[in-house]
Amino acid sequence: MSSTIFYRFRSQRDTNRILFDGTGLTVFDLKREIIHENKLGDGTHFQLRLYNPDTNDEYDDDSQVIPRSSSVVARRSPAVRAFSANGGGMSKGSSASLGNAARYVTGKPRVLQKKQ
Amino acid sequence: MEQLSNSSFKFFSLGGSNEVGRSCHILQFKGKTIMLDAGVHPAYEGLSSLPFYDEFDLSTIDVLLISHFHVDHAASLPYVMQKTNFQGRVFMTHPTKAIYRWLLRDFVRVTSIGASSSGKDENLYSDEDLAESFDRIETVDFHSTVEVNGIKFTAFHAGHVLGAAMYQLEIAGIRILFTGDYSREVDRHLNSAEVPPLPSDVLIVESTFGTATHEPRASRERKLTQLIHNTVIKGGRVLLPVFALGRAQEIMLILDEYWSNHSDDLGGGQVPIYYASNLARKCMNVFQTYVNMMNDDIRRKFRDSQTNPFIFKNISYLKNLEEFQDFGPSVMLASPGMLQSGLSRDILEKWCPEGKNLVLITGYSIEGTMAKFLMLEPESIPSINNPESTIPRRCQVDEISFAAHVDFQENLEFIEQISANNIILVHGESNPMGRLKSALLSNFGSLKGTENEVRVFNPRNCVEVILEFKGIKIAKAVGN
Ligand SMILES: [Zn+2]
Ligand SMILES: [Zn+2]
Repeated sequence: MSSTIFYRFRSQRDTNRILFDGTGLTVFDLKREIIHENKLGDGTHFQLRLYNPDTNDEYDDDSQVIPRSSSVVARRSPAVRAFSANGGGMSKGSSASLGNAARYVTGKPRVLQKKQ
Repeated sequence: MEQLSNSSFKFFSLGGSNEVGRSCHILQFKGKTIMLDAGVHPAYEGLSSLPFYDEFDLSTIDVLLISHFHVDHAASLPYVMQKTNFQGRVFMTHPTKAIYRWLLRDFVRVTSIGASSSGKDENLYSDEDLAESFDRIETVDFHSTVEVNGIKFTAFHAGHVLGAAMYQLEIAGIRILFTGDYSREVDRHLNSAEVPPLPSDVLIVESTFGTATHEPRASRERKLTQLIHNTVIKGGRVLLPVFALGRAQEIMLILDEYWSNHSDDLGGGQVPIYYASNLARKCMNVFQTYVNMMNDDIRRKFRDSQTNPFIFKNISYLKNLEEFQDFGPSVMLASPGMLQSGLSRDILEKWCPEGKNLVLITGYSIEGTMAKFLMLEPESIPSINNPESTIPRRCQVDEISFAAHVDFQENLEFIEQISANNIILVHGESNPMGRLKSALLSNFGSLKGTENEVRVFNPRNCVEVILEFKGIKIAKAVGN
């Protein structure tokens, strides 16, 4: 029997669902499914963030598992360049929010690089 | 997010900033919230084509004003009204609403690609959504001021297409002018955009052509007709991809007249002109109804001959490609204008392998669309129905713009007449927009550091511009 995760785009009234087999999906796989299900394209033109609807906390760790029957809020926003004009690099706290959603489409999970 | 001080004016784009497509801007001042336009991006599909609606609480919007019926300004309106928690009032001009109804039905069909595995509806909205939202759209007359909850706004003619409006808004003593897409040229059916009689503090202006200069209209018309004439006389076929309504009618006025005047050279009716658009045929009476909003020339023709000048002698409508007998040279106008899919794309794929054929682009082509790609004269193009295969491109490709957007000189003259101290550039790809910003800053350079300093902004989508209004204006508003 298949499992369900419910999601709603932040600006939408209606809730949608992702069907899958198993007890949960990683944030990475859930984002990939949402992008695929909504035909959002190659992911280079936007970023996709997921939030816990009760706490408003962002699920910023791609490997975190969202258990089946959960609800999440999805947010599509413009892609941003990894490095801003003022020379600031990726800060750890918000690294999941930077860049674009291409990695969820190509299927290569993000590897956090240590500072050199 | 920072708390706005009482005198802060905020501008925030959900789309159409540093891009052409999905026009959608938010204005906030004194607790009032206005949305300008609700478009889609023609280079993307489905949700991807929408402005970034997740980035703003749409339930806070008081008023949504639609500038004109083009899809990059109006096509996500049913989505906003039916699928989000938007609760504001929506306004557009009468002709815009009349055409919008037909146009979006077509849009629903064109974007219909069936249901997905989970049974989710693939369309952004359905015919029912369209019908339900349509009745809740209110209309505005040009030049009459409407007030909603302390927000005053007035529509002025923008020139661009039938019904296209500029909106001048007034909130607590501050005036904002949004040009939408506008033209300062009198063409074959429309007048030039108007300059509102009252000054504006903030100008939100299109920058499509950046610092480019248009050739005079007469020489563009001459080039267009010559190019088409030369192609068909050699037995070639001409495809004119057009947006179904608006600029297509301008092209047809030019071609119909030329065909009448050169009937003998063209073999006396041996070279047919077709317009493959049911939509355009259905909307002919809309063009007749609003002939009073067009220029003197077309009004006189209408009055003198007592016939609809948009019913053409030399152009016949095609319902579909099945009834089209493709035996010799012909001229075909077909939608969509950027060849993404649909009729124009089907004809392109049929005709592009032949060297004697011509594809003539007359509209503005957005980055990422087939029309834009074609202008690079690629050796082959991908087939839409069979993505694995490609089709050789040997036909000629040419571009002569009748897009009805201002060029640099026209834009600059208009901007100077509005004389706003704050200019926000929208509706332009980053590079032309950046060049326009530099040109404007140097034009107004002598005012730098003075009280009349002109500030120019070219924000990206979802990056806010905050302007402080203190002193005179507010004091005046308080004194009222
Ligand atoms: Zn337009
Ligand atoms: Zn436009």
